[in-house]
Amino acid sequence: MASMREIKSRINATKKTSQITKAMHMVSASKLKKAEKLMRDYQPLMYRLQEMIDNVLETSEDVSHPMLVKHEVEVTCYVIVSSDRGLAGPYNSSVFKAFKAHIKEHHNSNEEFIVAPIGHKAMSFAKRENYTLLNDKPINVRDDIQFIDFREITDLFMTAFLSGQVDKVVVYYNHFINTITQQVESFDILPVTQNDTDDETEEEPQSTLKDIYAYEPNPQEIINHLVPMYVENTLYGIILDAKASEHASRMTAMKSATDNAEELIQDLQLHYNRARQAAITIELTDIIGGANAVN
Amino acid sequence: MKVNVVTPSGELYNEDVDYVVVSSQMNGEFAILKDHIPIISSIDKGYVKMVRGEQELFTVIINGVVEHNNNIVNVSAQEAHVGMSKESAMDHLNTVREERLEENRKRNFDFAKAERELKKNIKKAKAGK
Repeated sequence: MASMREIKSRINATKKTSQITKAMHMVSASKLKKAEKLMRDYQPLMYRLQEMIDNVLETSEDVSHPMLVKHEVEVTCYVIVSSDRGLAGPYNSSVFKAFKAHIKEHHNSNEEFIVAPIGHKAMSFAKRENYTLLNDKPINVRDDIQFIDFREITDLFMTAFLSGQVDKVVVYYNHFINTITQQVESFDILPVTQNDTDDETEEEPQSTLKDIYAYEPNPQEIINHLVPMYVENTLYGIILDAKASEHASRMTAMKSATDNAEELIQDLQLHYNRARQAAITIELTDIIGGANAVN
Repeated sequence: MKVNVVTPSGELYNEDVDYVVVSSQMNGEFAILKDHIPIISSIDKGYVKMVRGEQELFTVIINGVVEHNNNIVNVSAQEAHVGMSKESAMDHLNTVREERLEENRKRNFDFAKAERELKKNIKKAKAGK
């Protein structure tokens, strides 16, 4: 049996760890709330953009945009959304696992696709697996996400798509279902599929009477402007979703870590008490033995 | 008429105004008065001036769309900032953008440095052996 002092120091160490994990759990819980609010705030813009694109495309003929046209798929670009930091349970590894399985099934060689990692974890994953990278600098996914952080990456894959370097852009991310469930999902972001209604917008009643709008300067220009905006916002929405998943995942991971630590402390405490009792017993028998020898 | 400005991070402005002036680098400038016909216009980089009585407010916008229908002006913008004058608002938006990008660069750098240090220390401590 380990000595009393050893057990005591282990109890102390575990207590400190559990304090940290408990704090991380609470931080993630409050950040999750913020992330959920951001997701709610973002919905109106997306809905409006979608409505406007539908409106322009329906009311005016001869309007098209290269991003709406499907290409014959030769090279696919995969955007992998991960986090910057670890300690989030299976958050990152589940995305990577799903992505690897997909690659194994659909691609024969690494030349058929390029990867655009978002977040430090995805960056090191892609480097480790020797994938062809779209961006050489890691893209930050900070907890206080802002739109501007992802301008660079959307610009990169949009120009790659327009120049014909890639024919399809797919995003891999963790979809937030609720605090304990997150699911890896993939989403084809480019080419933009028309009337591609999200779950949220499907519930909205479709107005049968479309308003006739005047366009300034003309419908084509408006579409040229709207579609890239739509794509950028879609990616932003996905990242918001992934961010909420990250916090939820970290929260559950930290919660179970705290629980485990507490269990361990209880166990160790028991051992400690036993060791203490044993020491006392030994001392007592020593004393009694000594007293007997004197008599 | 009502003006409603939304960005990806939520609603920025929602008030009653007399009229708005939409200005962009691409399309030039035009005003939307009350009972204007429904119109959609895009802004690459520009501003929306909102006028109520003597008061003027500027919303500078980078990448946005303005939609007017039934005396409601909906401004959807990628990035926007409301200010008293267009110069100050634009300056503010630009500095915020630059600061953010600079900060991101710095974080990347710090992160790489910390990671290198960690690896070095792991090697030194002979952990995992």
